[in-house]
Amino acid sequence: MTMSAGMHGVSFRQVSKSYGAVRALRPLDLEIEPGEFLTLLGPSGSGKTTLLNIAAGFLDPDGGQVVIGSRDVTALPPRARNVGMVFQNYALFPHLDVFENVAYGLRVRRVADAELRARVDTALGLVQLGDFGARAINQLSGGQQQRVALARAMVIEPDLLLMDEPLGALDRQLRKHVQLEIRRLHNEKPRTTIYVTHDQEEALVMSDRVAIMRDGRIEQIGTPHELYDRPRNAYSASFLGESNLLPVHIDEVRDDRASFTVDGPEALRSQSQGDDLPGPGPALLLARPEAVRPAADGEPGLEAVVEETVYLGELVATRLRMSTGQTVWMRRMNAPPHEVGARIRITWDPAKARLLPEKKPS
Amino acid sequence: MSRRSQGRPVLGEVAGGLVLAFLVMPIFAVVPASMNDASFIKIPPAVYSFRWYGQFFHDPSWISALANSVEVAVLATVFSVAIGTSAALGIERLPPATRSLAVGLVLSPLIVPVIMISISLYYVTRTIGLYGTAAGLALSHALLCLPFVVLNVGVSLKRLDPNLVRAAEGLGAGPWRVFRTVTFPAILPGLAGGATFAFVTSFDEVVISIFIAGYGAKTLPVKLWEQIRFEFTPVAAVASTVILALTMVLFVLARRAAARNAATAAAEDA
Amino acid sequence: MILAGTASPPPAAARSQRAARAVMTAALLLPATLFLAGWFLWPLGQLLVLSLSSPEGPTAAYRALAESEVFRSVFVNTLLLAVVVTVICTLLAYPAAWLLTRVRGFWFSVALYCVLLPFWISILVRTFSWMLLLERNGPVNNLLMAVGATHQPLRLLFNQFSVHVGMVHVLLPYAILPIYASMLKVDRRLLLASDGLGASSRTTFLRVFLPLTMPGVMAGAAFVFLLALGFFITPALLGGPQNLTAAMLIDSFVNERLVWPMAAAASFILLLMVLAVLLLTSRFVAIGSVMVMK
Repeated sequence: MTMSAGMHGVSFRQVSKSYGAVRALRPLDLEIEPGEFLTLLGPSGSGKTTLLNIAAGFLDPDGGQVVIGSRDVTALPPRARNVGMVFQNYALFPHLDVFENVAYGLRVRRVADAELRARVDTALGLVQLGDFGARAINQLSGGQQQRVALARAMVIEPDLLLMDEPLGALDRQLRKHVQLEIRRLHNEKPRTTIYVTHDQEEALVMSDRVAIMRDGRIEQIGTPHELYDRPRNAYSASFLGESNLLPVHIDEVRDDRASFTVDGPEALRSQSQGDDLPGPGPALLLARPEAVRPAADGEPGLEAVVEETVYLGELVATRLRMSTGQTVWMRRMNAPPHEVGARIRITWDPAKARLLPEKKPS
Repeated sequence: MSRRSQGRPVLGEVAGGLVLAFLVMPIFAVVPASMNDASFIKIPPAVYSFRWYGQFFHDPSWISALANSVEVAVLATVFSVAIGTSAALGIERLPPATRSLAVGLVLSPLIVPVIMISISLYYVTRTIGLYGTAAGLALSHALLCLPFVVLNVGVSLKRLDPNLVRAAEGLGAGPWRVFRTVTFPAILPGLAGGATFAFVTSFDEVVISIFIAGYGAKTLPVKLWEQIRFEFTPVAAVASTVILALTMVLFVLARRAAARNAATAAAEDA
Repeated sequence: MILAGTASPPPAAARSQRAARAVMTAALLLPATLFLAGWFLWPLGQLLVLSLSSPEGPTAAYRALAESEVFRSVFVNTLLLAVVVTVICTLLAYPAAWLLTRVRGFWFSVALYCVLLPFWISILVRTFSWMLLLERNGPVNNLLMAVGATHQPLRLLFNQFSVHVGMVHVLLPYAILPIYASMLKVDRRLLLASDGLGASSRTTFLRVFLPLTMPGVMAGAAFVFLLALGFFITPALLGGPQNLTAAMLIDSFVNERLVWPMAAAASFILLLMVLAVLLLTSRFVAIGSVMVMK
């Protein structure tokens, strides 16, 4: 109940974990700012849930430290960490009603009855379940259970809020709604949050920063914007947003400028500007669908055949087959659609395209 | 279901029905036998009467046997539920390989022929002074009750979502509080089921009891055994009916509880 | 493993947390372990010592049992009895389990109660019921005479027949449950597929359903056989002097002839037979799963 509740930074320092020969987490460092909403994004097996469970204290790391605020909690059991957790399957106590579920953590803390009642009511009001206190858990819909779980985790004023794919069991419609709801709650009262998901849209909508995980390490971390605009490699690029990756050969790198040739019969030459350019040799050109456009008359471009056009309201998405056989998506606003089978030439907006190393640098 | 079951399967079903009838009907032969007016058993009785019930309930030796049975069964149940629940909780925390070994050890009293257990306990209880005592008999019955408690509690524990325990721990609850507020409510149905069957197992037990009950802790089944080895009396039929009625009541209660549990589990899954 | 140097060893506090967890697990297991060790394994150990302590030498009791024609025949009879009872139980259990899969709602509950109830009822009471039914002037004889099947009461009690009837009755539910469980697992679409391929229902049963339910049949049979080997109460009450089983022999060694080493030795021979069966059938028998269904 201090003013700083929920406003603690979290540090993972050289945290590692193996299950037998499987390295779930390679020694990993991660700093989370006070009040920050950080999402761990990655496929299953990438280590994101392991990291979350280590933060909660459900798993002991093989090595390293976990620090919340100024407290080293590595050796503390979960009950001593003051961490709130929302589980994918909600894990609501089936034999307690909604009120008692939310009150559980306060009863453990021996909060006096009047205060307890007020805090539970506030928490339930916050998740818009004010009248649901007396309901049994099995009388609630999935979305309502999810919100009870959220209230239960928040009412204890945790120093750190952990959420493990909390929207995984909800249908698409409801998921979008609850995403915004969680973001609203976070904006109203920021508290340090680690959110685990494999859904890139969730990550983009809710997070202050996203850490993309792969094989027990953080591949890249940054704001959703940074990650979308400046992915460090093909993996990050394809995990966040849709991407066209064209194989290219970098001929020359000078300062922040690289000349390259697109692989294929046209051998189209182009240039790119950027700060961490790969060296000369094979590389990949990332062009998001919105960076791809038809080439103007006389402008150099790549040959492509229109295979499919999809209307998405004002947006038109076009699937193209290149002469190399590769598929490329183009997305244009208010553009006249191309006929299926038409042969066009395409190019890209150099400012929105980006050169990436051919393979992950491991 | 398909309508394929016209010829042979009907035959199979009739046979199945007959087998089930064979399974259940003979059990109740003791009931009319207990209602004879005559001093010998005839089924059905020539004249119905409850006079042998009066005989049974006024005979101190039958009543003390009944009291001994209840006392031993209560002791055996309490003891096996206490250590069995603890064991089931411990087994759940073991690594899988050790776990099956531990379950095997708990089940082994059901594998070893009961006559062998009986004579071994007969042999040792006499040397340590527990022969012919309710405590000795209760401990011995607990060997046979323990597996049911461990298995039933174990099944409930497996159904318990480990995230519920984690959620409670995360909210600050210590081990004892987690047990009291999360684990115990979850295993209560299995515990009740195990306890009920443990009670009945002890209440019905004959072989071990014949060997170690002595005079001091003679139970109803032991007295019944001694009777019917020599003659069939209506009083023995009354004793049988009393045992039958008590276990039937517990059986129906247990089935109802099980059905209710299944219904709640289904509702929670939905 | 090359990177092992970079990971620091587990923090001491985490190690002690793990140790605390192990201590807790051990503490939970301790009461039952002590109990089984003291009240089950120790008495059996005493019995083993006893079996080796005949005045005539350590193996005398075993030799006496092996050399005597009478004792050998008791064990052979026990085995034969168990085989016959197992065969009859399995044959009867199959249609009963089949019926359980065919009925729904109220009748399913009734059928299930019929199978589960016997588990709860005292073996002694059930055996006594059969004694009353099979008596010289009992209902079975009365019925047989009434329909003219016989003119004078048959001798139905205290012989091989009554032992078989009683043991089958007591052990039948143990065969029904595993067979029923295996029938539930059969994918009904396989049966429809067989029908669809033009097979008669007889062929479908013999070629598809029966083979698929064989694991349950084996489990049920193994279970019945295991229990039949050590049976005492039912053969003791329903059998005549000629129907001696191993368990009854052990009882008589203890209570009539007062030869403890012989009783102990006979017990271990019986236990070896049980363990041999268990070993041979361990593939099929999940005893725990049947026990829970009660």
